[in-house]
Amino acid sequence: MSYTIPMGPYHPGLEEPYKLDLVCEDETVIDAKLHVGFNFRGIEHLAETRNHVQVIALMERVCGICSNIHTLSMCQSMEGILDIAPPPRALYIRVIVAELERLHSHVLWAGVAGKLMGFKTMFMRCFALREKVMDVLEAISGNRVNYSMNRIGGVNRDIADPSAVLAMVEALEKEMVHTIIPVFTTSTTALSRCAGIGVLTQEQAISYGVVGPTARASGVPQDIRRAAPYAAYSDLEFDVPVETGGDVRARLLVRALEIMQSCRILHQALTKLPSGPIHAEGSDESDIAFPTGTATSRVEAPRGEVMYSVSWEEDSDNPSRVHVRTPTYANMPAIRAMVIGAQLAETPLIQASIDPCYSCTDR
Amino acid sequence: MNTLETIPEKLGVADAWVEKGRVHWLPCDGLNVRDVAKTMAALHARFITITATELPDGEGIRMEYHWDLDGQLLGFPFQISDNKIESIYDLCEAANWIEREIHEYYDVNFIGREYELLFLRQGDKPGVNLREEDE
Repeated sequence: MSYTIPMGPYHPGLEEPYKLDLVCEDETVIDAKLHVGFNFRGIEHLAETRNHVQVIALMERVCGICSNIHTLSMCQSMEGILDIAPPPRALYIRVIVAELERLHSHVLWAGVAGKLMGFKTMFMRCFALREKVMDVLEAISGNRVNYSMNRIGGVNRDIADPSAVLAMVEALEKEMVHTIIPVFTTSTTALSRCAGIGVLTQEQAISYGVVGPTARASGVPQDIRRAAPYAAYSDLEFDVPVETGGDVRARLLVRALEIMQSCRILHQALTKLPSGPIHAEGSDESDIAFPTGTATSRVEAPRGEVMYSVSWEEDSDNPSRVHVRTPTYANMPAIRAMVIGAQLAETPLIQASIDPCYSCTDR
Repeated sequence: MNTLETIPEKLGVADAWVEKGRVHWLPCDGLNVRDVAKTMAALHARFITITATELPDGEGIRMEYHWDLDGQLLGFPFQISDNKIESIYDLCEAANWIEREIHEYYDVNFIGREYELLFLRQGDKPGVNLREEDE
């Protein structure tokens, strides 16, 4: 006889609300139904009431973790309509902030995963490390969460002393190499807790259209930084880690390896940072006059591809349409496939393994 | 001829791709969205999203379907005037949520599917979020 357990909207593993109705037989999940929308803020509608400066600040609030990525996508879209190309230094600074954001997002996720594995020391360690990543972001932008770095035509703040930031990044990398990476790649405790659970096959990953580390852990080698490079990614060398297991362990490994790749990108970007201006000529607030047009932008956020589609009517202060497709929006439906057949006690970790963001999903 | 160039022929479209803003757009006059979805599935293209936009002066709704083909962003624009378009959910599982969202935001009816609430709550009326208030 089956029974239904409602999990959420106050979630056992994560701090954001969503609900999962788990249909179980004994301790085995035989079906699941997702409910989202508890964080719905109508941001796409609000965007139609904001001008080109205000809308950047608004889109920064889509997500608290990958806030920078949303302003980057929004700015890239507006630059597409305006036909403005940011200067090389701005493109490199965009990469640096985006990779620091990926680092702090992945380390935060590692902490949450550690907590759900019953590995509380790991949780504490990861959150302490994440603070240090945020120290670097604060040193660059003055802010620890919403960095306000992107603007139309470039960035708002320069990196005056790249070598100082590089020293901070190298210290961070060293600490990660000695702590998080070995635990997540070789620890029997961590790997055995994650192996074989929450499997999403490659076929399912393609069918659901999942993105980011969730896709790459199921053998789908897509990464927008490589497939459709933006900012300065085409100048930088990095690998796209791919695992084929499709389970929680594979997602763990992909993120651990991506932490190392982010450090590699940061090292190159900070070393090669070109000189020059940090925003394009003619991109000051008073110079901006939108023509009628639509532009689309894609970036690889920590959780996967973000896509913005922005439309503007000539002489209008506000966009006529802003559509945001976030990575968790693409990944969440696949939770159902991951939890079917799992033990009830495994489901919080399985859900957390896609690093879900309901704030992004609901918008 | 690369895969991208074969798509208009597969769909029976005389027009060629128009590249604008890093998107390859294919004019979809007279095309059926389900044929597009079947062709994309056959090419293992990844469905990304549908962007719906309400057009001014009651001209209907523009629906832009996006797929990724080996890193290339493809766009298929459809204009609907009667709030109806065929669902591709049965052909493309990834379109499930966005069809439900557009139904809730714009009251668009995706023919051939049923809806469960996504962002709305029980008793809410579809079309309240992004449609113009005077409609």
